[in-house]
Amino acid sequence: MTDLLQHLQLGFSVVFSFQNLFLCLVGCLVGTLIGVLPGIGPLATIAILMPLTYNADPAGAIIMLAGIYYGAQYGGSTTAILVNMPGESSSVVTALDGHAMARQGRAGKALGIAAIGSFIAGSFATLVVAAVAIPLSRLALGLTAGNYFSLMLLGLTLAIVLGSGSLLKAFCMLLIGVIMALVGADQITGEARLTFGSQVLYDGFDMAVVAMGLFGIAEILRNLEAPERRPFVDDVVGGLLPNRQDMKDSAGAITRGSLLGAIIGIIPGNGATLSSFASYVLEKKVSKHPETFGKGAIQGVAGPESANNAAAQTTFVPLLTLGLPSTATMALVGGAMTLHGVVPGPQVIDMHPELFWGVVTSMWLGNLMLVIINLPLIGIWVKFLKVPYHLLFPTIILLCCVGIYSVNSRPTDVLMVAAFGVIGYLFYRLKFDPTPLLLGLVLGGMLEDSLRRGLILSRGSFWTFLSDPLTLVLLGLSAVIVISALSPSISRGRQVLAEDE
Amino acid sequence: MTHEVAEQPGREPVPPYARLEVIGGTTIIGIAALVWFGAINLAVGTLPNFGPGALPRVLAILLALAGAGVFIQGLVRREAAFERFEFALRPTLVIMLAVVLFGLFIRGGDFGLLSTPQLGLCVVGPLTVFIAGCAAPQVNLKELLVLAFGLTALMLVVFPDLLRLGIPPFPAILQNAIPPALGRETALRIAYAGYGAIALVLYLVFVRPDRRAA
Repeated sequence: MTDLLQHLQLGFSVVFSFQNLFLCLVGCLVGTLIGVLPGIGPLATIAILMPLTYNADPAGAIIMLAGIYYGAQYGGSTTAILVNMPGESSSVVTALDGHAMARQGRAGKALGIAAIGSFIAGSFATLVVAAVAIPLSRLALGLTAGNYFSLMLLGLTLAIVLGSGSLLKAFCMLLIGVIMALVGADQITGEARLTFGSQVLYDGFDMAVVAMGLFGIAEILRNLEAPERRPFVDDVVGGLLPNRQDMKDSAGAITRGSLLGAIIGIIPGNGATLSSFASYVLEKKVSKHPETFGKGAIQGVAGPESANNAAAQTTFVPLLTLGLPSTATMALVGGAMTLHGVVPGPQVIDMHPELFWGVVTSMWLGNLMLVIINLPLIGIWVKFLKVPYHLLFPTIILLCCVGIYSVNSRPTDVLMVAAFGVIGYLFYRLKFDPTPLLLGLVLGGMLEDSLRRGLILSRGSFWTFLSDPLTLVLLGLSAVIVISALSPSISRGRQVLAEDE
Repeated sequence: MTHEVAEQPGREPVPPYARLEVIGGTTIIGIAALVWFGAINLAVGTLPNFGPGALPRVLAILLALAGAGVFIQGLVRREAAFERFEFALRPTLVIMLAVVLFGLFIRGGDFGLLSTPQLGLCVVGPLTVFIAGCAAPQVNLKELLVLAFGLTALMLVVFPDLLRLGIPPFPAILQNAIPPALGRETALRIAYAGYGAIALVLYLVFVRPDRRAA
């Protein structure tokens, strides 16, 4: 316990430097700014803004990225409540009761309770992250290459199964991602692989470029299909602060949401979405007046918002302790860390303690900033909601171009963003969700490396490779998950989730 | 297939070649073939020490199988018969044109088939915004023009000046013509102040009267 406090203290000493506070603040503000823009979810926001963080030092960059992440999430909830346009799947349920509250003139309260609930859940989740990080990374340090390989497979399996859409299509995307990770110089021989003679591909695919194309540009192309929808926004938001009765009504929901979210977030897969759905269902079950849900029940906002924020935080756990990103967003964060020379994994906590604890405490700080800075600024965010899309998207296009060019000063990066934009849009039209692709791209190199090392150690015998009990258990678990996902009852459940989105 | 087979009202069955999953599966198989072709010269190696070509080949086979699965689903599944592949070509082409122009001319260079001069953010910025803006279903050229100049001014302030990122602001010819006495920074500031002014004037002349009228 004293250890924990010491670590947190170290973290705060890092975060409370002028530069890092500033970066966190800027991250939260820009994140919210882009996040509230209609039709742009957190993933696209991070993909678009990632180049901005490249100038800072590693800790600063990750802190800023975390700020962008929370800001974007909060921005998504804001649009869900005010205009019933959830920016991403995890705020779909928020829109149900949140927007109902807004129509009753209680938009301010919905926004307020969302922020307060998120803050409480975020504080709790920060403690959870801090508490499980050390034991988990100690555990991870003892893992062999074979263990790691099977652990990655398990994580990827979970990510695919818990995501939405067709399993087979998700598998296709994952494979393409892993193959893309192999493009470029071979890790051992340095031979050019799958480059088709192109010098540009010899360095491999840059994650920022791929993500900006697949999620940023493609999202714009998606939005351009339909004629512009002018969101109708009321100027009157009402009082922001929930009164005592509201707090009393939602206290239970926030507590349950925090716990639920913190647990679900650690499991690979779309934790934030899953936990907000689970929390909504739970709140409806425990409520004495389930009939009020969907008609502006404050618990229906407080619970899911707390849950998805707690989950958003604990999704950092697999990345920071095992080096395994479990969502596309975490894949981006992991990519940014690697870019700064900090390879995510169990060694981070020992080798870069200031970075690790700085990031953990900055999560809490980011949440605090959201409450004290974003809530009073809500009027400004509402104005941004009114920016017409036909002026908005050219702005984002230019921002993407300038941003990605400034990272490496390589014109080919910009051309590649264009190409991945088309590919992302094509995948969307073909109903392939490119999220697993990004995970595959991040993990592909590690996957090959650990398989290769594992097989060298076992002298090429698959049997020796498999005979390690932990490897066997993890691989077995993946197999069980795949088989059970194919079973009729669960695949129906996945379908329901997909349709709700 | 006749129209009577249509079970869902208002939706007609799609011929197999235009079905979403058939095209999707074909695309995936195509990608797998490309990967296989790309890995053809790489050594496979042995199991204890597999070479650079091993994993690409195994993955290409898996990918082809998965793609074939999607393809077959498209032929067999009943709902698949109603899913047509659609693609909004015009906005996609326009946006691509905008981004590609930016990439080709921001610093210029040799891109294999063609080599391009550096035009810098001052020229490429407004062009990108303007062309991209034309991808919208309804285009308001006047507003777009204001945005193109205003936004470029803002980008010039933030990226080369405030963040000091190495993004070329001027065309190569102009850059060399800047008198040393003036200095690049001053030239940059003059440029964005000028662009800001242009945007303001355009707004006052073009956009505001329109808004008032509306």
